[in-house]
Amino acid sequence: MALQGRSPSARTRTERRNALLAGYRPLPGVHDELIGRDGQVRPQWEPFLAEWCAFSPEELNQRFGLADRHVHDTGVSYRVHGDLDEHDPAAGERAWPLSHVPLVITGAEWETIAAGVAQRAQLLGTLLDDIYGPGEMIANGLLPASVLTGSPDYLRPLQGAPGGGALQLYAADLGRGPDGRWWVLQDRTQAPSGTGYALENRLALSRAFPDMFRSMNIERLAAFFQGFRAGLVASSKRVEPRICLLTPGPLNESYFEQTYLARYLGFLLVEGGDLVMREGRVHVRTIAGLKRADVIWRRIDGDFSDPLELNAHSALGVAGLVQAVRKGSVHIANGLGSGVVEARALMGFLPALGERLLGEEMILPNVATWWCGQPRERAAVLDRLDEMSIAPAFRSAGGGLDTGPVVVADLPSGERDALRARIEARGMDYVGQEVVRLSTTPVFQNGRLQPRPMTLRVFAAATPDGWKVMPGGFCRISDEPDARAVSMRSGVRSSDVWVTSDRPVDPVTLLPTPDRITIHRVTGTLPSRAADNLFWLGRYLERTEATLRLVRALLGRLIDADVTNPARPDTVRRLANILVAWGAAPSGKGVASKARGPAAGKLSPILAQATAALYDAAEYGSARANVGEARRTASVIRERLSIDAWRLFGDLLRQLTLEPGRQPSEGEVYEVADRALKTLAAFSGLSQENMVRGPGWRFLDIGRRIERGIATCRFARHFAEANAPSDGLDALLDLTDSQITYRSRYMVGASLQPVVDLVMLDPYNPRSVAFQVDRLDTEIRDLPSLTEDGMLEAPRRLVLKLAAECRTAEAARLDRTGILLFEQLLMGLSSAIADRYFLQNSGPEGSRLTGIA
Amino acid sequence: MIYDVRHITTYGYSRMVPFARCILRLQPRNDGGQSVRTSELIITPRPAERLDGICFFGNRMTTLTIAKPHRELKVEMRARVEVNRTPPPFPGLTRHWEEVSTLALASDSLAPDSPAHHLYPSRLVPPVTAVTDYARTSFPPLRPVLEAASELMARIRRDFTYDPDATEVSTPLEEAFRERHGVCQDFAHVMIAGLRGLGLPAAYVSGYIRTIPPPGEKRLEGADASHAWVMLWCGPETGWIGLDPTNDLIVADDHIVTAFGRDYADVSPLDGVLVGPGSQKVGIAVDVIPVV
Repeated sequence: MALQGRSPSARTRTERRNALLAGYRPLPGVHDELIGRDGQVRPQWEPFLAEWCAFSPEELNQRFGLADRHVHDTGVSYRVHGDLDEHDPAAGERAWPLSHVPLVITGAEWETIAAGVAQRAQLLGTLLDDIYGPGEMIANGLLPASVLTGSPDYLRPLQGAPGGGALQLYAADLGRGPDGRWWVLQDRTQAPSGTGYALENRLALSRAFPDMFRSMNIERLAAFFQGFRAGLVASSKRVEPRICLLTPGPLNESYFEQTYLARYLGFLLVEGGDLVMREGRVHVRTIAGLKRADVIWRRIDGDFSDPLELNAHSALGVAGLVQAVRKGSVHIANGLGSGVVEARALMGFLPALGERLLGEEMILPNVATWWCGQPRERAAVLDRLDEMSIAPAFRSAGGGLDTGPVVVADLPSGERDALRARIEARGMDYVGQEVVRLSTTPVFQNGRLQPRPMTLRVFAAATPDGWKVMPGGFCRISDEPDARAVSMRSGVRSSDVWVTSDRPVDPVTLLPTPDRITIHRVTGTLPSRAADNLFWLGRYLERTEATLRLVRALLGRLIDADVTNPARPDTVRRLANILVAWGAAPSGKGVASKARGPAAGKLSPILAQATAALYDAAEYGSARANVGEARRTASVIRERLSIDAWRLFGDLLRQLTLEPGRQPSEGEVYEVADRALKTLAAFSGLSQENMVRGPGWRFLDIGRRIERGIATCRFARHFAEANAPSDGLDALLDLTDSQITYRSRYMVGASLQPVVDLVMLDPYNPRSVAFQVDRLDTEIRDLPSLTEDGMLEAPRRLVLKLAAECRTAEAARLDRTGILLFEQLLMGLSSAIADRYFLQNSGPEGSRLTGIA
Repeated sequence: MIYDVRHITTYGYSRMVPFARCILRLQPRNDGGQSVRTSELIITPRPAERLDGICFFGNRMTTLTIAKPHRELKVEMRARVEVNRTPPPFPGLTRHWEEVSTLALASDSLAPDSPAHHLYPSRLVPPVTAVTDYARTSFPPLRPVLEAASELMARIRRDFTYDPDATEVSTPLEEAFRERHGVCQDFAHVMIAGLRGLGLPAAYVSGYIRTIPPPGEKRLEGADASHAWVMLWCGPETGWIGLDPTNDLIVADDHIVTAFGRDYADVSPLDGVLVGPGSQKVGIAVDVIPVV
């Protein structure tokens, strides 16, 4: 057992240290972050090692567990390109591979990195303004025009547009060479990803090692984000601009990061379909109509952001966006054309441009690069081809060219000759670069530290006070000991970056200062798409609940075979029939034909149906299928759900997953349905207690109420008919969770009219249809109205009609037809809400005119 | 020559379309030996917003939105254009093609007519090795660029079958090349791919050719519809020369240029995004009548 508060002896620490470092051998000819050339641990790592050695291996493992649990709980994930499932956006996500060892960098060294990255951001920003503006660098011969025109990210329609290439967030991928100097491997100006992951890595490690952050004086990240947000606010003419984060959607590899950043920075997460261009301005479609979007932080490529003037094949953008940019009515960060300076072809020109534009020498050099579009450079590259790495000069436009850098020495001679011929024929498509040898940093593997190659992504934000660099970053570590290029695909982990300071670090949080903020009670506007998804999330959850209640009621009766009750078999049959009618279970015949194998003979068809209704994802009405739908719906509005709520989906899916080939007993199926109902109740509890009563919550609730009302009507139609046996009415009370209320009110067994009154018309019973209608009335009344003429909108009209029907109906006269009318009104209400709030009488601008020659 | 051009495009929809946003590049250019006397666009239904302007490449561009429900969109362009081009240089006296490639690459201009825009693959003209190899046959070392390009144009005219039913706007260039068939758009794309594959700056042009042939000459392919061809930059002195591979013609006064770009995607005459499901039918009518 670990003893708290007692530090281990010096001897123990030394032994642990030796064990950690045993076998740590830096690769020859490569800089190692941990061990210096003298074979000693570099001083900045000592405090870290000392802290680590205070932990026993068990304690260390426990700490790792804390970090991993944080990663798991927040749902940090990424997606591998091409790893897609259209039907379940949450399916292709991978858990985040966090290295538990940070990269430690001294404050002094960081100063150089930060100065170098800020300088480079400044240079590229200025260059972009020149490219899309006056074009002096080209006219003065510092840059051939063809260095830009080869880039698919040079967006001609943005030429001359205000902010056409405006740079607001910049990232540099750095590597450290054998001589210990940092080099820029790649510039990121399009829509750099990784800031959110850097933040997450920090939170995870600070969960594991909270004390180290204090004792080692590690620089904090929050101020950087504050600056970035201030920069975006300053770019708008409005004091409190509406800032949107434009995401490509849940299928993008870093969607998680985007939802995370939207929540962290308080931006509205939108997809292209949420935005619409009208009268020269960009608007968000919200439930309260069109609301102006002032600033758009885009995470889609510039070329994909306007299907009309840019890439016609894009389904992600906003038709007319470029026109709005030209008019200056919206600010986009980074400017749509900013990707052009990412081209490797440009790298060789930057030192001269730095001299010219900034009057400065570059603090951080980039990897030596020769663009083969120039005769002299091409000759030099071909001369030393075997020592070089060859890469595409531009992000490949039409396909057919190489996609990544190749080390020529690694190529078979035939391919080498072919490459040479291609460079001779069209040199402008290629650059030659010095082969990069990355430094190594420790990872923890099998109880000790191991050196692995890494790259470091450093971020700079344009703030009102100039370029600010995040003191930390996103370190990517290869699992291959000799990798020469690292990307965040398979076999790569990432780690936090600790910049140590000599002085204690001021804590900064993203909470705004009290005197500068206006009070809002309700959070902003709700995009129509989010409202749509919340509504359906509510419906799917409620539908799951109804199915679970059916299964539970069915099995309860199967287990407690009351032989004295002659109506029992009929009730069981009716319950099973509802499951079949809802698409939750196959018909009796279907079950019989499906059930084969040794147990088939013994298996009751009812149990098989109940099992399917619970677990079978192929039955669209099953609890499993509905939870899957609910999760899919939730995954596209993840930024609006709490982490706890998101976790419940995982719990539910686990509960509703059956090992293949196993047939659970009646008792077990009953138990699982019961447990899943409790998990669902937890979700209701969370949304009741923890969600702000804004429009988002309202749509979730409306969805639930409508679905519950419809389900209750259906149950009632099946069981509450004239001459219904009391066993059936009893089932109805079970399904509507009204058993206890009924018994406390009526001392007799279930009889028709009191039951109908209780489940349909009693406004005090929270499960009754009347109660749902009452709530719907309240919710819908509080939704924004679009009409200015004082006329009622369709949803409101329908709900008022429903409420009047509920209040005036009498249980004695309410027959199946009457109940069916309620059900139909509720369904009509659902479509009226969809028409009014989700589509607003105009779907997304989807279809295109077919081309003509 | 003076021409009256009338180009009517009609979209019929199977269902009401409540909203549409379109971009039109239909009015002829007023440069390069062409002067537009009059030109107008008649759009029904009447657009809610309309913005006339010039796109990056100097083409006339109109963006518009139609905000009322409609079953038919009709766009009529009428123009009177005078064409009087400088005669093309003698092909054998143009610069040799390697030199043209080097000069284009070293261009210090991002202006709309800079050859630098037309050296690289573009959306609809990806690099295709087979096409480059096909073109290379006409480009032995140090051959004058226009002589070589004219030969390539003649080969395309000879080797390819003009077949309006074989391809659509979306047919990839590889397919048109493999099957050796298509329409003017395909031939232009193939020729551009070949020229660019060799490192030469080649552009795509949309426009018209005269409908009624001069007495005694046969009618040209591509009349009664909008036409497309290629422009090749032949060096700073000569500039851009039009080459029509559909008809094996160096462009003179029979052609009227509407728009100039890297490929069809830059110049598509009418493009748009609309709200609503349903199918659409397109009808096109073009008249090009010599007035003088």
